[in-house]
Amino acid sequence: MDPKLTEVSQQFERFKAAFIRNDFDTCERLLSQLKVSLTQFRSLPPLFVDTPNATHELTLARDIYEHAVVLSVKIEDQEAFERDFFQLKPYYTDARGRLPPSAQEYPILGLNLLRLLVQNRIAEFHTELELLSATALENLCIKHAVELEQSFMEGAYNRVLSARQTVPHETYVYFMDLLAKTVRDEIAGCSEKAYDSLSINDARRILLFPSDQELFEYIKEDHPEWEIKNGYVIFQRAKESAPCKEIPSLQLINQTLSYARELERIV
Amino acid sequence: MAAAATTMVSSAGGLLAMLNESNPSLKLHALSLLNAFVDHFWPEISTSVPIIESLYEDEEFDQRQLAALLVSKVFYYLVELNDSLSYALGAGPLFDVSEESDYVHTLLAKAIDEYASLKSKAAEPNEAVKMDPRLEAIVERMLDKCILDGRYQQAIGMAIECRRLDKLEEAITRSDNIHATLSYCINISHSYVNLREYRQEVLRLLVKVYQKLPSPDYLSICQCLMLLDEPEGVSSILEKLLRSENKDDALLAFQIAFDLVENEHQAFLLNVKNLLSGPKSHPSESGQDGNGAASEDVQMADGTQAVNQIVQEADPNEATYAERLTKIKGILSGETSIQLTLQFLYSHNKSDLLILKTIKQSVEMRNSVCHSATIYANAIMHAGTTVDTFLRENLDWLSRATNWAKFSATAGLGVIHRGHLQQGRSLMAPYLPQSGAGGGGSPYSEGGALYALGLIHANHGEGLGLAALGTADEDVYDDIKNVLYTDSAVAGEAAGISMGLLMVGTATLTVYGREEEADTLIEQMTRDQDPILRYGGMYALALAYSGTANNKAIRQLLHFAVSDVNNDVRRTAVLALGFVLYSDPEQTPRIVSLLSESYNPHVRYGAALAVGISCAGTGLSEAISLLEPLTSDVVDFVRQGALIAMAMVMVQISEASDSRVGAFRRQLEKIILDKHEDTMSKMGAILASGILDAGGRNVTIKLLSRTKHDKITAVVGLAVFSQFWYWYPLIYFISLSFSPAAFIGLNYDLKIPRFEFLSHAKPSLFEYPRPTTVPTTTSAVKLPTAVLSISAKAKARATKKEADQKAIAEKSAGPESSAGSNTGKGKSTSDKDGDSMQVDSPAPEKKAEPEPAFEILTNPARVVPSQEKVIKFLEESRYVPIKLAPSGFVLVKDLRPTEPEVLSLTDAPSSTGSATSGSATGQQGSASAAAMAVDEEPQPPQPFEYTS
Repeated sequence: MDPKLTEVSQQFERFKAAFIRNDFDTCERLLSQLKVSLTQFRSLPPLFVDTPNATHELTLARDIYEHAVVLSVKIEDQEAFERDFFQLKPYYTDARGRLPPSAQEYPILGLNLLRLLVQNRIAEFHTELELLSATALENLCIKHAVELEQSFMEGAYNRVLSARQTVPHETYVYFMDLLAKTVRDEIAGCSEKAYDSLSINDARRILLFPSDQELFEYIKEDHPEWEIKNGYVIFQRAKESAPCKEIPSLQLINQTLSYARELERIV
Repeated sequence: MAAAATTMVSSAGGLLAMLNESNPSLKLHALSLLNAFVDHFWPEISTSVPIIESLYEDEEFDQRQLAALLVSKVFYYLVELNDSLSYALGAGPLFDVSEESDYVHTLLAKAIDEYASLKSKAAEPNEAVKMDPRLEAIVERMLDKCILDGRYQQAIGMAIECRRLDKLEEAITRSDNIHATLSYCINISHSYVNLREYRQEVLRLLVKVYQKLPSPDYLSICQCLMLLDEPEGVSSILEKLLRSENKDDALLAFQIAFDLVENEHQAFLLNVKNLLSGPKSHPSESGQDGNGAASEDVQMADGTQAVNQIVQEADPNEATYAERLTKIKGILSGETSIQLTLQFLYSHNKSDLLILKTIKQSVEMRNSVCHSATIYANAIMHAGTTVDTFLRENLDWLSRATNWAKFSATAGLGVIHRGHLQQGRSLMAPYLPQSGAGGGGSPYSEGGALYALGLIHANHGEGLGLAALGTADEDVYDDIKNVLYTDSAVAGEAAGISMGLLMVGTATLTVYGREEEADTLIEQMTRDQDPILRYGGMYALALAYSGTANNKAIRQLLHFAVSDVNNDVRRTAVLALGFVLYSDPEQTPRIVSLLSESYNPHVRYGAALAVGISCAGTGLSEAISLLEPLTSDVVDFVRQGALIAMAMVMVQISEASDSRVGAFRRQLEKIILDKHEDTMSKMGAILASGILDAGGRNVTIKLLSRTKHDKITAVVGLAVFSQFWYWYPLIYFISLSFSPAAFIGLNYDLKIPRFEFLSHAKPSLFEYPRPTTVPTTTSAVKLPTAVLSISAKAKARATKKEADQKAIAEKSAGPESSAGSNTGKGKSTSDKDGDSMQVDSPAPEKKAEPEPAFEILTNPARVVPSQEKVIKFLEESRYVPIKLAPSGFVLVKDLRPTEPEVLSLTDAPSSTGSATSGSATGQQGSASAAAMAVDEEPQPPQPFEYTS
């Protein structure tokens, strides 16, 4: 076997060991080295040079990037997730014919969909969806993300939140939490506009918090401008901060009419 | 890259994501891969350009240049060439000028454009431009690479464009064929360098390079020096060559002189002539007893000067130098070439008197316009041949001319005798106003005579270059002034016009060839309220930019052609296009084609003449197609212009090379014979047939010399000609633009040795048009029988006369036997055609034989412009040309100098005798010609007795 490949494989073993130990600092350090080492392999996309160990190298590289994606979820780094996912993607699309399918493929694709949903990048979400095959759409991980998006769009926020309990993969939890936060932000935004104030009880129900305590924490962190008084949450101040500008319609109409008159006079 | 062709990733997303990695080696990896795939993924990459840009701007990133290159490529695909270029400059050495890709080509072109425009901006005095050193570096890399790859022409083009004279020099000196490269360089500096000052810089450099060469090409150097107007350089070169021991060098010097003369730059020639230092004179002058050769040459140059310069035989070197000096001065003064041309035109005269006869018969007597048109046609047909037979034979007819017609008839003599310098005065003497006495003849003819004298001497610069145009001679100028003081109003007017022409000369010369420098003057003139001044402005524009094909001038002219309110101005504007474009005749028909369909007849007329002027003598097929419909225009003067223009285009084009020539001749005949045709178009037709057969069918209209320089006299002559609208006698000015279509080989003594060379084409392609003979079907059908019999009779008379002349010739040639044989041979060619004139049978006989694929021509021979490319010199020939030119004056080297030379057309000893005796007929054709000139020529003018 190619010495370079052996070296990378050994390095990867060390990475996996650290990964299992949840020693994320070591993981990150090793991953960076691994990625640099991977640039030496010419069989990897986008070059796809047919070297003798091509399949092996491709599989290894894919494995590394899959771990990288999972790692980024574990250390809760969305940017790293995006970066690693894009580098992993060619292994699922362009290299599909060159190496056996990976067990991690659908969970990771689903994760990515979830990420897009969390980041509220709906357009990209649908673009990704279009690229998936019919069998992929049947997959539980993908289905989960698709259903979530539907609920989200319908405004069935309680379903979104309850879906947290039915995640198909442990890594999803992170994004599900984020999603709950996104949903809550949506609801909070709407409530602000819709009501002057709400009783704490109602507010807790609307914002889907299991306890008042959590509601208070949320308000403290995300909406310090809300006031809690006499068992009510008062949104008023937020309203003042965004005064609605009135369109000076009468003035405009007057102006336009005078222009028209004068124009007629000139001509 | 190769593998990428087999499998292609569907997206560059992975690579773009990699750019965001923190590890620089990953960024580098991504960059280099992206750079390789940018051709496919630029749309995707373009969204990430900011990231790559920030990489480029990151001082710590060590592959900034790669990032710049990538951004540059993306911008290139987005067609943001300016941004692309600025990033490519940032890419430094990574931007590989030798890469064969569209990207590199486009950007290089862009870079060179940018650089060139910056450079030319920097050249302007009050503009400070900061040159990006990186841009300069790229252009230099490109230039160096071209030079290394041996693509010198490309390098030269770029160097000139970018004003990098240092690189230009390098490219030239490093090329494998320096001479070829240099001449290429001269060519492009003429056709593409529009700025006059810069062109001069280029030429100066070329001269410098030329001089550095081990074997300098003096011919080209002198051409350059002439363009630079540096007579000192030329004269020193000439002197060096003349002082050389080698005879070939002297030949070369003569050749240079001839070439310079061809460009007709009078003031320059004069300077060169004056700067040539005389031989070291010895106090003891042995004067007149110089050897025979010297005395023979004396008469060729200014007599007084030459006599003083004949030096003692004790100093042979100085003697040869003196001898050569007189020769070269003769050449530079233009006399030698004028004389030789005269000889050639006289001996090869093939004009067809029958055509004139037909015209004469068909025009109505009372119609003075047609009458004088016939006279013009005659004059043009015989321009420079000194054959005035037609006038002599039709004196009574001629005498019907009145007033201005008389004027032009007399002036016509001037055209016919053009170049006949020595005799000019005596010839015209009877008509010139007698000093003091007021003259007995008609004032009109006096005026005409003055005009004629002016034409005879035209382009023989005795005085300043200015005077050379209208009058050419201080004496003549004085004459004109004298006439002004006499009471005669009409003569006064003529003189006034002559003076006016002089002024025209001044005005045009002040702007002639000045290009940008004349802009302010032109601007003033064209803005003026007075249409006449605007009209003048058009001419100024035409002459200032003549032959430059300058886009700005063209645009301006086109603007005036369509927007001016005055018809004259519009007509002139279109016409002026012809002048601006004559160096590029193919363009003219395209540019004026729309104008030729204008609703305004004046514009159509202008378009016709513009084509005529710029395509003169080319026989260009598009030009003919454009003119054809105009010759049957509804407006008479448009037809006139079109006919004249057509004749100018078709001059010296044989029917064999373009069948439309024949059709056109028949059309002319028809118009002339048609009783119902308008006078205007009839006049046009008559003139056209004159131009078509101009100069005894041996001249063509040329505005460019062989070296592609403008011929000043020719251009101005044609410019004046184009104003004949206002004053018909201006038609004669067209004779200034005639130049003989001939090859004339000269030996060391400036004589014409007899030798043969090859024209590698069917003779019929370039032969003279068949003389219209009695049995030709067209004339038989068209002409009434009465005309036939008369013409036949006239023909008989002509034959008889010719026979008489020959008898005289033989008599005079009799005494010396050697000369007899020479003249016999020399005349043989012209005799043969003479036969065909006398006897009608040879023509059908010729048809029977299969035509040979080539033709042997004998020096001097008629070589029409389109024939030039098939001319070849025979290998075993005794004479070798100094310069490989297919036409014009060419000096030849004698490889067997010991053998006796056979001269054709040249004087035998007898005429030398007559020449030295002072009547200065000199090289007057063959002995017979000399005899005729001496015995017959001077007397006949008397018959022009006008009974008014």
